[in-house]
Amino acid sequence: MTALSASTVRDEEKVVRLRRDPLLIALWILLAAVALVWIAPFIFITFTALKTGSEIMTTNAFAPPSTVAVENFSGAWVKGNFSTTFFNSVIITVIKVPLGLMISAMAAYALARIKLRWNKLLLVFVLFGAMIPFQVMLAPLFTLVNSLGLIDTYIGIILPYLAFGVPYQVFILHGFFNAIPKELSEAALIDGASHLTTFRRIFLPISLPVLAALLILDFVATWNEFAMALVLLQDKHMWTLPLGLMSFQGQFSNNYGQLNAAIVMTVIPAVIVYLIFQRYFVSGLTSGAIKG
Amino acid sequence: MFHTAYLKTPRAQALILLVPAFGAYTVFAIWPMIDVVILSFQRWNGLSADRLWVGLDNYRHIFTHDPVYWIAFNNTVIWTILSVIFPPFVGLLLALGLNEKLFARGTMRAIYYLPVIIAPIAVATMWRWMYDPFFGLFNQVMTSFGLQSWIQDWLGDRDVALYSMFVAFTWQNVGFSMVLFLAGLQNVDRSLVEAARIDGAGRWQVFRHVTLPALQVTVTIVIVLSTISSLKAFDIVYGMTGGGPAQSTQMLALWAFTQSMQIFDFGRGSAISVTLLLITLAVVVPYLRWSQKREEAAR
Repeated sequence: MTALSASTVRDEEKVVRLRRDPLLIALWILLAAVALVWIAPFIFITFTALKTGSEIMTTNAFAPPSTVAVENFSGAWVKGNFSTTFFNSVIITVIKVPLGLMISAMAAYALARIKLRWNKLLLVFVLFGAMIPFQVMLAPLFTLVNSLGLIDTYIGIILPYLAFGVPYQVFILHGFFNAIPKELSEAALIDGASHLTTFRRIFLPISLPVLAALLILDFVATWNEFAMALVLLQDKHMWTLPLGLMSFQGQFSNNYGQLNAAIVMTVIPAVIVYLIFQRYFVSGLTSGAIKG
Repeated sequence: MFHTAYLKTPRAQALILLVPAFGAYTVFAIWPMIDVVILSFQRWNGLSADRLWVGLDNYRHIFTHDPVYWIAFNNTVIWTILSVIFPPFVGLLLALGLNEKLFARGTMRAIYYLPVIIAPIAVATMWRWMYDPFFGLFNQVMTSFGLQSWIQDWLGDRDVALYSMFVAFTWQNVGFSMVLFLAGLQNVDRSLVEAARIDGAGRWQVFRHVTLPALQVTVTIVIVLSTISSLKAFDIVYGMTGGGPAQSTQMLALWAFTQSMQIFDFGRGSAISVTLLLITLAVVVPYLRWSQKREEAAR
């Protein structure tokens, strides 16, 4: 009884404090104003993408377009070769992301649940890779992929993408598997199930939320990747979306409407994925990085 | 049969599970890292059959005869210092604010995080257009506020370009620090905050003596991640300025790429990469030891 009334009093206090606290109101106004600044570039780009060339030069940056110049989009689509780059990006992402998650989960399970002499060493080995910038290895990576005859092929870019996705994912999944009670897997193993079965039938199903979070993060990372694609995909017909956008900027930089339409079309898939899967981003990012 | 019997041992099963991931990782991530060190002692154009061993020549050249190397080095250092300070600091402020129960805080969090998921190359393209001296957003806004004297060629002026680029980088990366700090704030003991409040502590005192100590681990993680990501700065430089004007925005990662993949001097490019690798290791190795110790202490 006393506890109940005490907490009610505290709640009332809180509400009053919220309502009256000028500091919180000021804080809200400040945060909202900065948030407006944060989305301003998106508004500006979208408006410009919908304006005709002459309107861009005569109207204010934040003036909404008077007529909707849809031809910017169709023009940019054709000139920027979007059908090719979009297709390549889809193929590479759709193969790489699930496959990478699968092999990372397998390895993470083995490291977390099968006793081996070099478990700890392998974990440090893999964690190390998560920290090293792959940009330092662009040249030898080109050399390697070239010597395998895989420049300008899907396999030639997917394999390095898989390799560079492994460290972070193994690290996160290892942490997750490690936290699962031992009894769960031991019961299955005593009943005669192999590690492969235990992994597939028990660990995969219960780790679906983590896998979903990693899937989304990896989708965006793969979709956005630029530097490796620049080195390993030299042929225009193999280019991914980011490479297409980059070349577009150089070639058609005086057609501002089309340039902005190209930016919008490149950015939109990631924005849609983000808006749908928002909460997974946060959990995926933080599940490994911060454990208290 | 031998095969099926062998498959039943945990060792064999471990191998099956480990090989795909570690195979790909070793061949396509670890081997190139070793090869970049080997290449840095060789002269090679990337195509001819023989890679000529030249010892320390490449290093001697980049340190003493390459006028761009030290510019790129300085810019990388400036860039790293800036990105360890600003995006995390702004991210922390936003996280502290958005940790309060405010109207529409979910929406605001989403807005601040949105740029993080945009391709860096798209960010570069966006901002290059916004910095356009004639029709871009910045000069238009300056003009409409009557600040014509502030108008700049943001990316064309070598004294300004690096910082213009950094503003775009900050815009993109603040959300990342913010999310990590928001997660870290979950670890702040609510009852401790209330107790401090009841004892008459002000907001600053609560922050200084309760919140900040609880955030210590998060702060370390954010700073290390920011350092690493700043050393990786490549896409944004390549897409925004290409290192120009007059190399004023050149950085180590891009200069290594340019030497190898555009000038076809794989030896010198690799030597530049190795110096960047060593700088990264100087940050990563102490961090790994620290986190290992922390994990052992938690056990």
